[in-house]
Amino acid sequence: MKRIMISILHLALLFTTVIGCSSNGQSANGGTGTPRTIETGKSGSKQEVKLRIAWWGGQARHDYTLKLIAMYQDLHPEVQIDTEYAGFDDYWKRLAPQAAANQLPDLIQMDISYLTQYGTKDQLEDLTSLTSSGTINVRSVESATINTGRVGGKLYGIPLGMNAMGATFDAAMLEKAGISSIRPNWTWSDLEQIAKRMKSQGKVLDHMRFDQFFPYYLRTQNQHYFSSDGTSLGYSDPRYFIDYFKMYLRWYEAGYMREWDKEALSKLTPEENPVVLGDGFMTMAWSNQFASLQEAAKKPLTLIGLPGPNEKLGLYLKPTMLFSIAKSSKQKAEAAKFISWFLNDVEANKLIKGDRGIPISKDVKESLKPTLSEGDQKIYDYMAWAEQNSSSMDPPDPIGAAEVSKLLRDMQEQILYKKLSVEEAAAKFSTEASAILVRNKK
Amino acid sequence: MKLRENDHIVGYVFISPFILGFLIFTLFPMISSLYFSFTEYDLLSAPRWVGFANYEKMFTDDDKIWDSIRVTLTYVLTSVPLRLIIALLVAMLLNRAVRGIGLYRATYYLPSLIGGSVAVSIMWRQIFGDKGLINAFLDNIGIHTTISWIGYPATALGTLVLLSVWQFGSSMLIFLAGLKNIPGTYYEAASVDGAGPIRKFFHITLPLLSPIILFNLILQTISGFLTFTPAYIISNGEGGPLNNTLLYSLYLFHRAFVFFEMGYASAMAWFMLILIGVITLVIFKTSKYWVHYES
Repeated sequence: MKRIMISILHLALLFTTVIGCSSNGQSANGGTGTPRTIETGKSGSKQEVKLRIAWWGGQARHDYTLKLIAMYQDLHPEVQIDTEYAGFDDYWKRLAPQAAANQLPDLIQMDISYLTQYGTKDQLEDLTSLTSSGTINVRSVESATINTGRVGGKLYGIPLGMNAMGATFDAAMLEKAGISSIRPNWTWSDLEQIAKRMKSQGKVLDHMRFDQFFPYYLRTQNQHYFSSDGTSLGYSDPRYFIDYFKMYLRWYEAGYMREWDKEALSKLTPEENPVVLGDGFMTMAWSNQFASLQEAAKKPLTLIGLPGPNEKLGLYLKPTMLFSIAKSSKQKAEAAKFISWFLNDVEANKLIKGDRGIPISKDVKESLKPTLSEGDQKIYDYMAWAEQNSSSMDPPDPIGAAEVSKLLRDMQEQILYKKLSVEEAAAKFSTEASAILVRNKK
Repeated sequence: MKLRENDHIVGYVFISPFILGFLIFTLFPMISSLYFSFTEYDLLSAPRWVGFANYEKMFTDDDKIWDSIRVTLTYVLTSVPLRLIIALLVAMLLNRAVRGIGLYRATYYLPSLIGGSVAVSIMWRQIFGDKGLINAFLDNIGIHTTISWIGYPATALGTLVLLSVWQFGSSMLIFLAGLKNIPGTYYEAASVDGAGPIRKFFHITLPLLSPIILFNLILQTISGFLTFTPAYIISNGEGGPLNNTLLYSLYLFHRAFVFFEMGYASAMAWFMLILIGVITLVIFKTSKYWVHYES
């Protein structure tokens, strides 16, 4: 009998340690536990605030962000920040289960394409009161910029920097082929002529991402990818789809772009970009990618606006990424303070440089200008030009956008591989995309 | 009596890690996935009961799922037989008394050991890419090609099948054990009767090995259906080109973690479970015609 009692005791002990660990883990994660005032009471003011912050990016971004956080902790010894970071794809695959478990990090780096999803599903805090109270200082930020983080009137994210699409090319390569310059207000047919000339030199045009350049093309035609309420496609006449992809197919068949079987394999990193490899003369990319492209290419590149007509209608400034605060966070004010520092501190932004886009604060922008490298200066100049030559951004992507874009990718693939005619693809895309959007609008 | 009870408790204590693990990591997730399969659940908001709607949609309103089933069946029907045939051939080669046989066995088993890992899949991308080993080799023997075998619709799935066949090691090991169990006297007797090696193979080796073949067949079929990593890595997670490598598990993953349709993905998982169950059952039922048990 005694032995039985001892075994049971052991078992009970085993259980309590397991349970003890798990509940401890929970409160340390800032999740569902109660505020930790009782436990940390005796350690005084030191490290009373625990924040979790998550972001995606490449190694360079991880490195300087960790430095930033160390810098912030030096300034605020009472704050301890735990970090979680990953590449873009893995990041979202980790974030969703965390949301399901009510364990989101306090501070979440958010992408505009996920903002609606997380915002309207009640996962993110409306930051309006935090900006109006000045906890997040946005005095030197244009309100139009802040508003890019709004969904249905609620401010779910603060943009960390601004971005615009542009054409990055190797001017020396073009010159060697007898093209001394590209005229301002250039058009798709100019691009076609250039591509033709460059093909004779064995150089290609990089593929344009279906989910970025078809929407751009639509905007130049005064149409949109999604309707403003997100329940349907933003265009009804199939001729926009047909015109764009007929052009695309024509270029592809003429050999202006590399074969799709090679493209499909590309990880889309700067190192694999045809311009960087020297096989390509031009790539269409976001302005904050220009620096890494140029760095990988080890040769000067040029950044100009996208082909028109009506490029001004098509071009828009977009937040590179945003900071959101989880609704479940117990430390909203502290998280807000961090965002405010991130936006407004010049020393911090010297570390960030242009990696998260052009800073949204005018003051920071001004004080950074003299410290910029030549490459970063080109981005600043381009963004200054783009500010004058763009129109306002479409609302953040509706729920279901990821599935629609996957469908668009399939359509492009089937067009290039001749499984579908452009007309068939146009019809198929519009029926299936509408079905997806309607289904997600409940 | 007292002593016995005591023994029981000690037994339960020792087995408790497994029981707990089973309850927490197998039974509970299975039950909740069954529940989720009847709901609409996007991970971000609470699941909403929709009855059989997910299952209905699977059978009536989703062409892609049939694409993915077609791809998966093609994959399983080609990779599993090829893998077993090669495993058996190599096992027979390795069943001889040759100097250094242990080293050979280890070498052939190695690919299986590193399994369906990410590293192997990345290596496969390099080998079959447009600037990869295969094209370099073809170039050397005078065939010049620049196609990317992994990105080309007609060959993409083939490269996945090859990867699976290459990892024949574990089936081979089981075959090897089976071969060792066949008494040498049978072969001696057959030799005396004048049987050649082919006759010996079909009349002694195959029948006596058939229970092992059945075991391997079922094991490999199930793991074939569940293949995920190579397709995910090799196609950049897209299942391309033209959805030719969109294995069922990869499509399920898209539904769950890219489109946030956890309910639908759960329904897909249960359909897969039933499908595998049925196919396993069919293999078992046919086994009485070709599996020979010594009695």
